[in-house]
Amino acid sequence: MLASVLAATLHGLDGRPVRIEADVAPGLPGFTIVGLADAALREARERVRGALRNSGFVHPARRITVNLAPADVPKAGSALDLGIAIAILVGSEQVTPRGSWALLGELGLGGEVRPVPGIMPMVAALARRGAARVVVPAGSLAEARLVPGIEIVGVASLAEAADTLRGRRVGGHRPGLRSEMVPAELPVAAPDDPAGDHPDLADVRGLFEARRALEIALAGAHGLVLIGPPGSGKTMLASTIPGVLPPLDDEEAREATIIASVVGSEPVRGLVRRRPFRAPHHTASYAALVGGGPRLAPGEATRAHLGTLFLDELPEFDRSSLEALRQPLEEGRVCVARVGRAVIFPARFQLVAAMNPCPCGWDEDPSGRCACPSGVPERYRGRISGPLRDRIDLWVGVPRIAPRELLGSADSETSEVVRARVGACRARQVGARAMLNGRLRGRALRAAAALDARAEKRAIALADSVGMTARATERLVRVARTIADLADADRVAVEHLEEAARYRPPTEGRTAVARGVA
Amino acid sequence: MLGIGRGGPLGVAMVSPVGGGDGLADMRTGAPEPSAGHGQPVRPPSTRLSEREAWIVLAAIEGIGPVTFGALVRAFGSGRRVLAAADGPGGPARLAAAVAAEGLTMDPGLATRIGPAGAAGGALLARLAELGVEPLTAEDPGYPRRLREIDLTPPVLFVTGDPAVLDAPRVVAVVGTRRPTDEGRRTAARIGGVLAAVGATVVSGLAVGIDGSAHAGALLANGITVAVLGSGHAHLYPSAHETLAMEIVRTGGAVIAELPPDARPRPAGFPRRNRIIAGLADATVVVEAGERSGALITAGWAMEQGRAVFAVPGPLDRAQSVGCNRLLRENAGEARLVAGTDELVEDLGYATPLEVRRRRRTRGEASQPDAGAIVARLGSAEEAVVRHLLGGPATADALVGGTSLAGATILAVLTRLEEEGLVAGAFGRYRLAGALQGVRAIGGSRRPAGGHP
Repeated sequence: MLASVLAATLHGLDGRPVRIEADVAPGLPGFTIVGLADAALREARERVRGALRNSGFVHPARRITVNLAPADVPKAGSALDLGIAIAILVGSEQVTPRGSWALLGELGLGGEVRPVPGIMPMVAALARRGAARVVVPAGSLAEARLVPGIEIVGVASLAEAADTLRGRRVGGHRPGLRSEMVPAELPVAAPDDPAGDHPDLADVRGLFEARRALEIALAGAHGLVLIGPPGSGKTMLASTIPGVLPPLDDEEAREATIIASVVGSEPVRGLVRRRPFRAPHHTASYAALVGGGPRLAPGEATRAHLGTLFLDELPEFDRSSLEALRQPLEEGRVCVARVGRAVIFPARFQLVAAMNPCPCGWDEDPSGRCACPSGVPERYRGRISGPLRDRIDLWVGVPRIAPRELLGSADSETSEVVRARVGACRARQVGARAMLNGRLRGRALRAAAALDARAEKRAIALADSVGMTARATERLVRVARTIADLADADRVAVEHLEEAARYRPPTEGRTAVARGVA
Repeated sequence: MLGIGRGGPLGVAMVSPVGGGDGLADMRTGAPEPSAGHGQPVRPPSTRLSEREAWIVLAAIEGIGPVTFGALVRAFGSGRRVLAAADGPGGPARLAAAVAAEGLTMDPGLATRIGPAGAAGGALLARLAELGVEPLTAEDPGYPRRLREIDLTPPVLFVTGDPAVLDAPRVVAVVGTRRPTDEGRRTAARIGGVLAAVGATVVSGLAVGIDGSAHAGALLANGITVAVLGSGHAHLYPSAHETLAMEIVRTGGAVIAELPPDARPRPAGFPRRNRIIAGLADATVVVEAGERSGALITAGWAMEQGRAVFAVPGPLDRAQSVGCNRLLRENAGEARLVAGTDELVEDLGYATPLEVRRRRRTRGEASQPDAGAIVARLGSAEEAVVRHLLGGPATADALVGGTSLAGATILAVLTRLEEEGLVAGAFGRYRLAGALQGVRAIGGSRRPAGGHP
């Protein structure tokens, strides 16, 4: 007999409903799955067979054909296991369901139902499709409940799932797992402590200039590169960022939770309120960084969405991977295309990179211990291509501070104090221009800067003195706009421009001009 | 010895200037149109140039170095004849043939440039006048005698400032790496100062690092210093040293170049420039040099010309001393070690005082290089930052702690000072640079109490 249940698969970060049809017919015993199933899904046959047998059911010795519809959508992963097993049970008349059900979950050979990634977007897709009830792995119950408007039942085994469908399970052997209709209002996990286990800015001693650049970068959502010798505190400074950024708002939290659901190794327990901090190693492949691979999986750029992407040892990264970051830096998303299909992943992240000034790391250190031959440090810094350089607004030196230089220095500000300023400055920008300054370009930037004649002349002079490109000049004005916002100024003034000029890439400053050829 | 000058303009090839007037003077007043105001028939412009002007025009052509210059002038007998031969159809071929007869080959592109360059000679001379750049040909009496003695004498030097200092009785070059240690900067400034104090003209390359410190050290000792450029005067390189170059000229020194004013800095220009640094000086002192530093090229030129070479030794494993140490080892007997500033003065034979004070007195108060004067024209925030940096390189933290200024103000001030070339920063550390390099103290503020208008 023919049976049909609803399930879902992942396409990028979206769920796609999938109808599972099972035809259990007389004939030579066999088990075929059709409908663009990937390798993990083809192996579902073996898991389903074991799970049926070990849950007290019979694997029918007949010709079983499972069709996954729509036939032209590629389906991946093990989330369809439970649906396939139930469809076979219904098709072989071992289970007679009451009402229609959607089912998600991976099966073990013993019949246990295991959590799968992406429960939240898949349940959301089923809810959009109009499904009234969905069975999910018990471990993913909390995550599934983040989706409003659909009844959710958590099950730990295939037998429980069968009982649920038969309507036998109310008050059954796993009480409390059955959930009522979830209210439209999202349940919110206790807001994470925004500082969490990240170091506090108060633990970073000295580094005034770099801290200031960090504050500007976070306030205006500008990219930031920290340049300094090993041990100067670049990584420490970067790792304070999650505690300095304001927590995610509801809309952002929903986006971050979906990403966590799809890419996470564990089911999500509640709405994600903390901004992600991703620090991929410089050997990361192109696909690992921007997304892709055979399953069009999201990369680090997407995992860092609404949070921080920290690239340590920036010049050591594969050049084409770095170039691929230009799109998310411009548009806040990445488009991963393969023949015949393309996926768009959100990727609006705060870029922070760190690099040594030269291969040995000690160029310009007062100790003079740099062992690089003449010209090598310049070439090393030149590895960052011009187009990428122009898309990163702030570049700042991080000197190595000798302990004696810290004697008697004032206590550093805490993350909380800086976070309050960053938050206020962001609110100011959104209030005035409906976007953060890091995204200002062209005409919008000119309008936002509102340079008077004197400031405009100064901007041109600052740009000319080091031979800046037009893009670099925009970068200067953009950073000055955020400096002005931090100072609560409506117009960008000369002093803001002059400070902004401090944060030029090392290939553009006076020192760079002075050090060129001979 | 290429025989430059044997058939030179003031020797055999004297040709009286056409039009009877002083061609140079005519050009200086800026009459670029050949027929302008004279009512005379238009002649090929090159014939309006004096022989001296022809040399200047010829030497300013990109691609003509001392060798090609010598070959051309020898082949045609004079610079004017070279320009005349280049003029008109068949000119390039004539030039190429003549150079080939001298055993050289000439880039065909270069041959075609000479004719037009001769035609535009007036514009070049006007440009020199406009910039205040004085050309000095190897035939001019004021041409530095030491430079005449070297191989590859530059046929023409372009000079701003006082050309006489190039020929001072005592001239020493102080050179070194562009990436020195702080100690190296101090040593260079000290040696520059000591040499200036015994009346020597201190020659260097205006580069950042040791060169800049040597110039600054000489300026601070109220001495005379000469910068030799690897580019043209209109493209002063590095631009961060523009203030330093102005200060050098203002205090009675000179900034010279082998290339015409509009020549851009190109890597090839700098090793060539080094031979002039070595050639101008009795002795070359290398303060810090890495394994492949250009300063070693300068020392090599000096030794080839039989000039004295000194090097400041350094620790065995410091990259900035590898070149100096190797120079001393590989040229034992020729290159000498700088054991101290007194010893250096003694080894140079400058221990007897020289009558130099007189010259400075005649130049009056204006020539006193004075860090105080530079500071006085800065704003008060800039002055506070500069005063703090007198104590040595500092981070922005130290400046925030050491001045009463707001952090954002300090960062803006650093940008302004960097633009002036008075402060240089690298990866979060800032130090005095340019004309303030090596300054240790500035007297009380010279700013009048009421502020300057």
